[in-house]
Amino acid sequence: MKSYEQPIYMNNAATSWPKPPEVAEAVASSLNAIPGEANRGGVTDFDVFQEVRTELARLMGISCPSQIALGPNSTWGLNQAIFGYPLKPGDVVLSTKAEHNAVLRPLWVLEQKGVTVIKVPVDRVGRVSASDWKEALLAHRPKLCILTHASNVTGAVNDIETLAREAKEAGADVLLDVSQTLGCVPVQLSQWGVDLAAFTGHKYLLGPQGTGGVYVREGLYLHPHMVGGTGVKSDLKEMPEEMPLHLEAGTGNEPSYHGLLAALRWSREHPMDQEALRACTRRLTEGLTKLGCQVILPEEPSTPVVSFGIPGITSSEAADILTGSYDIILRSGLHCAPEIMEEIGMKGGTLRLSLSRFTTEEEVEQVLLAVRDLVESGL
Amino acid sequence: MNFQCKKVENCFAEARTYEYAIPITGKELLAFLDGWEIRENHRFRRPVFSAKQGVLEIKGILAACVVKINYSAGGWEQEKEKMEQWLNQLVIEDESV
Repeated sequence: MKSYEQPIYMNNAATSWPKPPEVAEAVASSLNAIPGEANRGGVTDFDVFQEVRTELARLMGISCPSQIALGPNSTWGLNQAIFGYPLKPGDVVLSTKAEHNAVLRPLWVLEQKGVTVIKVPVDRVGRVSASDWKEALLAHRPKLCILTHASNVTGAVNDIETLAREAKEAGADVLLDVSQTLGCVPVQLSQWGVDLAAFTGHKYLLGPQGTGGVYVREGLYLHPHMVGGTGVKSDLKEMPEEMPLHLEAGTGNEPSYHGLLAALRWSREHPMDQEALRACTRRLTEGLTKLGCQVILPEEPSTPVVSFGIPGITSSEAADILTGSYDIILRSGLHCAPEIMEEIGMKGGTLRLSLSRFTTEEEVEQVLLAVRDLVESGL
Repeated sequence: MNFQCKKVENCFAEARTYEYAIPITGKELLAFLDGWEIRENHRFRRPVFSAKQGVLEIKGILAACVVKINYSAGGWEQEKEKMEQWLNQLVIEDESV
């Protein structure tokens, strides 16, 4: 672990930090306790996974918690959904240029197997336009649509209510990646008609790494991408049919899920001050713009992500100095979303500052002073 | 060999940057870089340096004992080997003082 003298953490779109103290306490308690008997039930059994599903269902706007399969991360959830969805050669999948490699790479595998993948362009701030989306739906008649709720590079939040409705009207199912939004932006999967959704626990949900999964609409069948022991129904040759067991092979990460449960309960008791977070984000974008940085400026709604470039300095060089000289922890480069870069006019990548509910105004000012030094340094 | 070396990954498959933990500071290292194009920047909270010779570049914090070296794509393995031999020798010289 690296140590910093005065860390300013602005890498929350990757992994949130700090976490509420209750999270680490819950992980430690779990590790020190006798392991639970997940899936075996009984009146005295505390099933942390089911408790997490119940909290998540509330946040996602769905009525049936057991339709949520829990695994190690969002990539796992996306892989379960993409490879488990019944697609055959010749079928069309519609996606976007703003997707993370967790979507792009599985889609590449599907393409090699004869599935046609169409990617809708995004605008200069990384948002999918409803007209481009509709045009692509009508032109290609996809079986499945896959898109992110918000760009992990720019923070632009897509209008899923509209995009999902149009996809459904065109006869497609919708897989939504809510990795960048759940816990930060309202999510209403049932209301929007979303069929599948992948999520992670370690970003805005404030949980530990090693938590994430996939929601599957009732009545939609996914072929399990991974099979194995479930702790129950061991006499069956195949995975049990019922969710979530159908997709949950192997021992779950009980300590991390205890941490996620603590985070979810903490967040429910401590609602995020959205206006304060928006004010910090706004101050950052305004300050960077005034300094002459090339800032991607999505209009609301957006997540607290600020992507920018400093003319004449590569993003990696700037990040080296901001971290090495100022202890500002941020991300530089392509952010695992290589195809969006050309769309937003930042082919070499961006510097990304991603805030959280714990970011202070003072930290924002410190970052602006550091960037000012960089801009004026003549590097 | 009195230094530690580890590759620094970034978003590009062709990344050729390595981080070296050495027993002297960046500032002290500069004294050994005869003929290199050296730049120091004292504007930052922790001042930085860069040293270039051809396509080879060493960068770091002046007061820190960790430096980064970027190797060019063509023949980078030989460059790296040569640089590490030089660093190794340098450390020996330094220790003999």
